[in-house]
Amino acid sequence: MRRDIPFLLPALFVVSAIAIAYQIALMRILSIAQWHHFAYMIISIAMLGFGAGGTLMTLLKPRLRGIEADTFYWVLCAFTLSLPACYALSQSIPFETFHLVSQRDQLGWLLLLYTVLAIPFLLASICTALALFILPQRVGRVYFVDLLGSGVGAALVVAMLFGFPPEQVPYVLTLPLYAIALLVGRRQPRRFRVPLILLAAGTLMIGLGPGLTPVRVSEYKVIRYTKQFPDAEMLAQRQSPLSQLTVIDSAMIRETPGQLGNYPFGTYGPLPRQIGLFFDGGSVSVAHAFTGDWERFAFLDYVTPALAYHVVDTPRVLVIGAGGGTDVWMGLYHGAEQVTAVEVDPSVFPIMRDLLHEFSGGLYDRPDVETVLAEGRGFLRARGGSYDVIQIALLDAFNAAAAGVYALSESYLYTREAVELYYQHLSESGVLAVTRWLKTPPRDAIKVFATLVEALERQGVAEPGNHLAFIRSWNAATVLMSRAPWTEPQIKAIREFAHTRGFDLDWLPGLEPHEVNQFTIMDEPVYYQAALALLSDERETFYRSYLFNVRPATDDRPHFFQFFKWSTLRALIREMGVEWVPFVEWGYIALLATLIQAAIAGILLVGIPAWVLRRQALPRGSRRSVGAYFTILGLAFMFLEIAFIQKFMLFLTYPVYAVAVVLAGFLVCSGWGSWFADRTSLPPRTLLRRAIGGLVVLTLLYTWWLPIVFDIGAAWSDAARVGVAFAFIAPLAFCMGMPLPLGLQWISHRREALVPWAWAINGVSSVMGASLATFAAIHFGFRWLVWGAAIIYLLAIPAFTYLQKRVQDAA
Amino acid sequence: MRRTSRIWFSLWLVCSAHGWADQSFDTERFAQQRERMVRETIETRDVTDEATLRAMRAVLRHEFVDPARIREAYADRPLPIGYGQTISQPYIVALMTELLQVGEGDVVLELGAGSGYQAAVLAEIVDKVYTIEIVPELAELSKSRMERLGYDNVTVKHGDGYFGWPEHAPFDGIIVTAAATHIPPPLVEQMKPGSRMVIPVGPPMQVQNLMLVEKNEEGQVRQRSVLPVRFVPLTGER
Repeated sequence: MRRDIPFLLPALFVVSAIAIAYQIALMRILSIAQWHHFAYMIISIAMLGFGAGGTLMTLLKPRLRGIEADTFYWVLCAFTLSLPACYALSQSIPFETFHLVSQRDQLGWLLLLYTVLAIPFLLASICTALALFILPQRVGRVYFVDLLGSGVGAALVVAMLFGFPPEQVPYVLTLPLYAIALLVGRRQPRRFRVPLILLAAGTLMIGLGPGLTPVRVSEYKVIRYTKQFPDAEMLAQRQSPLSQLTVIDSAMIRETPGQLGNYPFGTYGPLPRQIGLFFDGGSVSVAHAFTGDWERFAFLDYVTPALAYHVVDTPRVLVIGAGGGTDVWMGLYHGAEQVTAVEVDPSVFPIMRDLLHEFSGGLYDRPDVETVLAEGRGFLRARGGSYDVIQIALLDAFNAAAAGVYALSESYLYTREAVELYYQHLSESGVLAVTRWLKTPPRDAIKVFATLVEALERQGVAEPGNHLAFIRSWNAATVLMSRAPWTEPQIKAIREFAHTRGFDLDWLPGLEPHEVNQFTIMDEPVYYQAALALLSDERETFYRSYLFNVRPATDDRPHFFQFFKWSTLRALIREMGVEWVPFVEWGYIALLATLIQAAIAGILLVGIPAWVLRRQALPRGSRRSVGAYFTILGLAFMFLEIAFIQKFMLFLTYPVYAVAVVLAGFLVCSGWGSWFADRTSLPPRTLLRRAIGGLVVLTLLYTWWLPIVFDIGAAWSDAARVGVAFAFIAPLAFCMGMPLPLGLQWISHRREALVPWAWAINGVSSVMGASLATFAAIHFGFRWLVWGAAIIYLLAIPAFTYLQKRVQDAA
Repeated sequence: MRRTSRIWFSLWLVCSAHGWADQSFDTERFAQQRERMVRETIETRDVTDEATLRAMRAVLRHEFVDPARIREAYADRPLPIGYGQTISQPYIVALMTELLQVGEGDVVLELGAGSGYQAAVLAEIVDKVYTIEIVPELAELSKSRMERLGYDNVTVKHGDGYFGWPEHAPFDGIIVTAAATHIPPPLVEQMKPGSRMVIPVGPPMQVQNLMLVEKNEEGQVRQRSVLPVRFVPLTGER
């Protein structure tokens, strides 16, 4: 009876594929609705549903004996229905992240949101646990199918997100599930199967019908304000796995890259009309109306980044983050002979060339503008060349930056190594211009300055100060770095530019204290003081004592937007008040909250079944041994997976490929490992030793080899780089796929009751592992994270011996 | 029948009397709350300008809030007024008014009329207030409120504040209540030499900077960050 279930493994494959696809789609949906890292927080907790599935099965296992097949069918149906239902329900929950501190009921809504979103993961987890019950002798194969499905699902959803709006994905994903449910349930009475077909049709009609409501967006996102403008009109919306691009036209959209300084409105008149390009509703870039009248673009000479064009002549320009083209126009306005516009979002150029072609005067079809769809650093490494001006555009929205919501984002554009790369691609007289929004208290622009100083030093520049200039408007700062030391005429030009436009100078060789803090007056000239400290022997003291973490980001710790420091928390509270700390550094607090919540939920999810298992006659120490082994595996697997996804992100340069290739590669090859573990005749302990030995050696070799390979392979084609990445991931993931099924096999052959509990522990520790990995990466860097994972994996060997000993006793 | 009428009449009398008493009680209670608001949340935080304090005591803030939130009218926090807008917290209104340094005979431009509360406070101090509101419904509401409360020196217009109000320029002071990514150049041009503009910079719910823009007699412009303003979060659904 137990094995008499048709299409069990194909069904498990589909469930695993759809579960991960749903998770990635939800991440997109929540990134649009809220902010990227709240999305991360919510999803992490929802993922505890996997652990909860194991817990539930531990409790229910005795009651399911003999009815596993029927239960599998019904849980599969429930999972299918739960995808659209839970998504729709989650959309009606009035949760608002920014109200969390002020409104107590928001905590309740958050809890409800977690619960609703966790349900599909719980049901998917139950499906896997049931498959493990049904095929106890084939644990490795079950795990293989589970991982293979996940790998395929990860790759498929990335493709899906190009075509479907994210809100449709939960509905569309149900189709393969309905199909497999009909096959699995073909022995079920007809009355149980017919409704499935009707439900499938209904789900599709709702999901693809015109009545489906778009994702509900937080009222604190820029797009919500903009939509409230009386004349706002949404012109188009495009989807990609990177972002949702919304194009809005309104005469009241007026974005400039940094503040306009003393713009002679009377002479040049109003700014040209703009159309807003909103990325996930949170970041905005604008397209400018161009009618051939260059005078209308005079405002581009009254913003801080324009300084670059006052120190070089007829430049060749590289704009990283071209967006709607403000910086491209700035280059053209200042007589650039060629502008290379690099943009990572695949929706931007098609929209600009199609819908906004006429409006923008055919900007991206001009012969003096070259468009490149790529990530900035990857492009530079692959293409080479030298430029007179490299502009890093200010693409993130002011309010997002101010709230510190990007704290957990890795940004390889702002690392010390990135700046060194830019430096190497500057012409002899070239300049790099980095513009950042100013925050209160000051931090972003200071970190940029520190990064530029250190990068110059590492390039062998003895006096970095002679290559730098720092100007500031009321809400933005531009830091300029020149390849050659500033000349007297250049210094004079910078002074004149700043003075005539009302921008403050915070660093320039020979700058006198009486020259600073002239136009936007601060109580203390904090930026000037910071620049002085960073260029002096006091730098290390400054890093340590400053209220925020302004130490440069590196490729090993690429969290440029992470400013939070434990050591100065007390001082920060004193200055801002405790209730405002979250508003200053949201991202880090969100991560902390995730970890605490996951820990509490994890204790419950692991503790409850442990308590229930107490009543069963289990050998002494068996629960402890299972707990230790599967916790180790959950943590170590996530540490390695997250670290290598990040590492390969830099190599593959295009984040969509990176996530799809690396995640799918990891999952599929881990599945292959578990399949091998299922088939081999090697004794488990030997196999485990070899697998862990192999992955530890590979890990250590990779930390040494990868930087070299990345350097050599930077200029290779996309396909070659994907191939290389896969070749590196495959053996590592293969080894990583073995320890879990080995443990599961061992206990399922001896103490089946412990299997779902092991599954629960693995689910919980994976979620904890993901949050802890981010913490470790922020504080210690990816290298330490990888080494930490290797050490934890090594602990799995004695843990397995202990497990064998304890669970062996029962046999 | 007569007896029944008498009972009804008595009941009506009792209810009406209760209503009158309630109304007079409310008026008195709001006056007390207003006084407490000025004393405890404004004077204690270094707002000392006599004209500003007098205006804050005079304007009936409860007339400018959503009736459903009338009991919170004098609390030191912003309140939603619909259309995604808020009435600023009293302290910020007082501070911005004081920073403007305007007085009798002056003409002031306000961008973002919202509920009209800030305009009413200014109207207690200066000769003429011109205020522009981008949301048509709010502009209409604000206009009728000004008429009802007798602020005949306030003119409300619906429109885009970015270009100021050149017909009435130059101004002795400009108050901007909506954050922007840059100081609108037309506004700078509409400032009289020696005048000031006050503008909060930064997104809602986060740390904002209150900026003071000064135009000197030579027409040169300077900005000063007055203080980081800690925006008090909203307390309800919009």
